[in-house]
Amino acid sequence: MVRNILPFLAAVGLGLGLAVSTAAQERTPNDPQLFNPGQLTVATGDPVFPPWMLNDDPAGGEGFENGLVYALATEMGFAPEDVVWVRESFEQSIAPGPKSYDFAIQQISVTEARSEVVTFSDVYYQPDKAVVALPDSPVVGASSFEELRQARWGATVGTTDLDYLENILGISDVAVYDDQAGVFQAMQGNLIDATVVALPTALFVTAVQVPEAKITALLPPDENDRGHGLLFEKDNPLVDWVNEALAAVIERGVVEDLIQTYLVGDEVIPEIRE
Amino acid sequence: MRMEGESPPGSPPGWSTGCGDPPPPAQKTLSLQERWIPLGISVVSVVVVFGGLAWLVGSSEQWPRIQRQFFNGSAMVEAFPAVLRGFWTNLAVWGVVLCCIALWALVLAVFRSLNGPWFAPLRLFTVVYVDLFRGLPALLLVLLFGFGIPALQIPGLPRTSLFWAGTAMVLSYSAYAAEVYRSGMEAVHEGQRAAAKALGLSQWQTLRYAIVPQAVRNVLPALLNLAVALQKDVALLSVVGVRDAVREAQIYTARTFNYSSLVAAALLFLVTSIPLARFTDTIARQDRERRLQRTL
Repeated sequence: MVRNILPFLAAVGLGLGLAVSTAAQERTPNDPQLFNPGQLTVATGDPVFPPWMLNDDPAGGEGFENGLVYALATEMGFAPEDVVWVRESFEQSIAPGPKSYDFAIQQISVTEARSEVVTFSDVYYQPDKAVVALPDSPVVGASSFEELRQARWGATVGTTDLDYLENILGISDVAVYDDQAGVFQAMQGNLIDATVVALPTALFVTAVQVPEAKITALLPPDENDRGHGLLFEKDNPLVDWVNEALAAVIERGVVEDLIQTYLVGDEVIPEIRE
Repeated sequence: MRMEGESPPGSPPGWSTGCGDPPPPAQKTLSLQERWIPLGISVVSVVVVFGGLAWLVGSSEQWPRIQRQFFNGSAMVEAFPAVLRGFWTNLAVWGVVLCCIALWALVLAVFRSLNGPWFAPLRLFTVVYVDLFRGLPALLLVLLFGFGIPALQIPGLPRTSLFWAGTAMVLSYSAYAAEVYRSGMEAVHEGQRAAAKALGLSQWQTLRYAIVPQAVRNVLPALLNLAVALQKDVALLSVVGVRDAVREAQIYTARTFNYSSLVAAALLFLVTSIPLARFTDTIARQDRERRLQRTL
């Protein structure tokens, strides 16, 4: 019910805002097109995982994605305390209808098909894909796609990891789990041999969540996966403003700094190209 | 609806059981008005109610967007082969699991019905079993069995999630089905047991020839009802990596953010569950007619 009422309240609030402060300008923190003028409302997952956001605390500002959001907010003229976080699942983020936020950030990959129903910002990061497996897995020491195809694979529903396995590696019987926990549970139960995830996720998983697993190889990028973007409601007019801020933040090297701080490992990992 | 005990139309009064019966009521011919006005009211009210709903939905500002995201023909066509492939998995799992449940639940119900002190452990087992498996959500059992048992890596046992998750479904649904069987057995008249005993049948023979056949006939509609529910619950197996129709549809949705694949999966489920529901109705009706004839 609350989810149904929120957009209505928002509309009423928006209407009141328009009536009261006709002086509100576009592209300022009081832009009437904001979900909640005066605030930047940002949605993310529940829970959120390092290194994308640390300590399951988006407002803490530690982590790659929330670091980026605070940099964007500053660029757009918002004070850090005016950034409001909304927690919702990936399914809720992609559900049709009005959104209860300005944009969502949750390692969402930009693809052509998705762009038909939502609007994406420019891409802010393009991760490499990494193979994660237990030390006794048949993929350890593999050097070609052909050898990788012999293994049993698993992936999480809703990720581009699954598309990657099917389209780039050509594996048709990938086991698909609800979440990453399910994938690694299956791996530890010897139901699958390996999985593919974004490299930063792989670094965190192998360091903290499943220390016995390791990254066995890096894989080439998928050209259809353009990288991570911010997700907006279809045709949200704010996207141009956010894109300008994003370009400025990238220009100043902020994103590169965040990548170096949070997303890069120091291991040398073999690459499999074909 | 056929009226039991009514004389066949057109037969002379008193034809059925001799004299004394009142003559059948004269057929009343309906006038044109009487015939058409109720029909007219039905048609108009249906058109008004459903037309109103359609107008309400269709005139919504968001409808074109919802239509594009949920009822997109080309997206349905695109997603259909994968969804159909998943649906065969649903049907295969459903068939196998259904047979196992039908047998195992009957065994449980028979255990429960045995009397005599020697069978106390079996009765206790059944009571605990039903309490346990009926009290746990099927999803939880699927997760525990599908992930937990293969991880034990016990030699000689199958190690696929599909097998163990299917086993979890059998265990869970058998608890319900056993209770249905039991109610059917309790509904068999006590006189039947007494009669069987009088004929010199043993406890086992009484069950085999007198109680169970009648019990199964009593509860067949209820069991078919469970079968319809099971057909949809097979989708629970997707949580342990089985790619059924719903999971294939979700994969498409996540890839494109388009929900039409879920509608395609829903249509497939309806195509199989509606005939099954009609079949259940037919069985129930035949059962009712059989009983009425017997009591005449």
